[in-house]
Amino acid sequence: MKPIRDDHNWRGWRVIGWRGWRLALVIAALTTGLLIASPMHAQSGSGGVAWAIKYDPKTFDPAKVDDQASELVRYLTGGVLLRINRHTQEVEPSLASSWTIAPDGRTLVFHLRAGLRFSDGSALTSADAAWSIRRVLAPATAAPVAEEFLTPGGVTVETPDPLTVIVHLPRRVVSIGRVFDEIAIEPQNRASEGRVTAGPYVVAEYERGQFVRLERNPHYWKHDPGGAQLPYLPSIRLDIVANPEQEQVRFVRGQYQFLGGISPEYFDLLARTQPQSAHDLGPSLNTEQLWFNQAAAAPLPAYEKQWFASTAFRVAISEAIHRQDLARLAYSGHATPAYGFISPANKVWFDAHLDVPREDVAAANVALAKAGFYRSGATLYDASGHAVRFSILTNAGNAAREKMATLIQQDLAAIGITVTVVTLDFPALIDRLMHTENYEACILGLANVDPDPDSMMNLWLSSSPNHQWNPSEKTPATPWEAAIDAAMQAQASATGMEGRRQAVDRVQQIVATEQPFIYLVYPNALYAVSPALAGVDLTVLAPGPVWNIESLRWQKGKR
Amino acid sequence: MRRTALVLLLALLAAAVLAALRPGSSYAAQDREQSWAPASRTHPAGTDALGRDRLTRVAVAALLGLAGAASAAAGATGIAAGVGVLAAFGPKILAGPLLLVCDSFLALPWLFLLMMVRAGLPLQTAPLVSAAATFLILALLGWPACARAVHAGASAMRRADWMIQGRAAGLRATQLMGRHLLPRMLPLLIPQLLISVPVFLIAEANLGTLGLGVAEPLPSWGSMLLELDNSALLASSHWVYLPVALLIAFLVLLELCVTEA
Repeated sequence: MKPIRDDHNWRGWRVIGWRGWRLALVIAALTTGLLIASPMHAQSGSGGVAWAIKYDPKTFDPAKVDDQASELVRYLTGGVLLRINRHTQEVEPSLASSWTIAPDGRTLVFHLRAGLRFSDGSALTSADAAWSIRRVLAPATAAPVAEEFLTPGGVTVETPDPLTVIVHLPRRVVSIGRVFDEIAIEPQNRASEGRVTAGPYVVAEYERGQFVRLERNPHYWKHDPGGAQLPYLPSIRLDIVANPEQEQVRFVRGQYQFLGGISPEYFDLLARTQPQSAHDLGPSLNTEQLWFNQAAAAPLPAYEKQWFASTAFRVAISEAIHRQDLARLAYSGHATPAYGFISPANKVWFDAHLDVPREDVAAANVALAKAGFYRSGATLYDASGHAVRFSILTNAGNAAREKMATLIQQDLAAIGITVTVVTLDFPALIDRLMHTENYEACILGLANVDPDPDSMMNLWLSSSPNHQWNPSEKTPATPWEAAIDAAMQAQASATGMEGRRQAVDRVQQIVATEQPFIYLVYPNALYAVSPALAGVDLTVLAPGPVWNIESLRWQKGKR
Repeated sequence: MRRTALVLLLALLAAAVLAALRPGSSYAAQDREQSWAPASRTHPAGTDALGRDRLTRVAVAALLGLAGAASAAAGATGIAAGVGVLAAFGPKILAGPLLLVCDSFLALPWLFLLMMVRAGLPLQTAPLVSAAATFLILALLGWPACARAVHAGASAMRRADWMIQGRAAGLRATQLMGRHLLPRMLPLLIPQLLISVPVFLIAEANLGTLGLGVAEPLPSWGSMLLELDNSALLASSHWVYLPVALLIAFLVLLELCVTEA
């Protein structure tokens, strides 16, 4: 028993008395209350798993999902007609037992499984599916996924019988099957924000800023080969923890079973202390790239615009950058040098035979000399006598990008170019990129969720505001940008896979030749997963290690 | 105590100068095969992630930080002295607006203001110029608290006997200020100056930890303290603690000098 100080006792210390007990009881009650309310003590139920998300989901309405946390909750709770198998990257039937698409790509027929039920026990029929699809398409819902139908207003849905859903599209949409991975089927006229679902879990409890608790859907349609009801795990607790250090400590203590978005340094530490938990899956779908500002209206001197518009200049810069060093030093080896916009992790679309500019400083010097640049001492000058110097912007607080910028600074010094590294807070950076266009070069990353290149349409079309090196062009500024536009349109309208592949390969080669984006690295997908779990099938596609959540279970004797 | 603190401070500064001027040492040179190297004869405090000599970088950061903070402190104290004295001795109509400006500055969210001003600097500003600009901005934003103190001190001297006698003797305002007021203000200004040095040192480190301080490849305390944000690095090398240990040492010694002053 811990003594408390009693000022009336000249001996100084005595054993706690009744008044002290009362105080201690009050403190204990308050403390227990606080602890119960804290994320660490939000009970996930016996046998459940837990991990952290960085922020509160913006919505539990599956039709309105527009952020990663909400998307994760939708994935874990939403029943969908078709599901992208994150391992094979192919579309598979889910609530639909089968589906067909007409040769013209405009009519889809889904056949539902018999006996489907929502988590509250009510029957799931084609009427529910049709209502959910119509709700997503309705302008009043403002569902982000509606845009993927291209002309959502013209889509019609029919239900000839309780197990059949027919969707008519006014025009063909490439990879339309993938869109249905994002449409959760809800009970007709009873949008429940995840409380009544056809997916593996339902939202059971939510405390803002603290946690989301999900419970097993007792009527989930899937069973294991032995006939046991899935999912195995009875509950999931998603703690809202913004501090990665806190998240890591809880994983090490066994309070969390999954850890994603790990820094390379922490991954190395974990690999030393808990090698069975740490998994480096190799390159992710994400890219890190450098680009030069080629916007015609940019407030830059004409001679700088000339450098940035020169293919020879961009290729020379690309050749002068030591990508292996970027991967090794900025990511502690947990990144893969990148030469194109499609990562090797993208099994369907990666082109291993691209002709790309590799590291070659001598070739860079020759290319620059041919383009009229010359060296005087340690400095490179253009044909009109201007010293070649520019700044590289990146966002403050991203250690890996800051290191890459500093490494590139030294790489380019070797060919006589002076680089200033500028880190800005994100709003200031975006203001320069999107509004004032007052910057010379920038390093940023692109997080790719969908492996289908059609999802990058808004990046490659010259008319797009996200066409970062020269946004919102009225007409393509260069012949090669026109060629990219044509190839992207061709892949979107091609009827066969071979036609699409040829068009996408063409875009990849043009980008590799022209280097509008100088790809630097693909950061590796780093995960930590509790070795006490069985059935784990890791994949780089979101939601990473929990993509097959219904098949995960505790190993015998581990929980 | 003050003398000991001063001696230690000077000794640390001398050590930093020696470390920065070691033959073959460079704060920017990347030895890419020596990333996170342990302490050795070539790199007495090991290297950082990019294979740069940590001792040289810490030494340069210390010298740069102290020189910048001292200059900013001198500038801020100078502005504060001018404004405080003007508010106390100038025309009465001027005192109110001047003190209002002081209060307005004090109420400003200086960190956001600093971020805005830093973001507005020309992008090709050389790292050393951007460091100077950072400290200049700190000086321009850091004078009002000191000006308030100076104003209070100067107002007390306005009706002092020596001031009345000086006026009666026909001394001009500049003579009064230069010969009589300034020497009497020094006991107030010197501690204000000394207090400002660690304040600006910390402010620059804060900006650095936000990635908005001194630009790479110039080292700064802030950018090096960023390493402490990653617990995995703390476990890998004790030398990552060197910048924070030195910063604390400098702050404690400066504090001792101020207290004694």
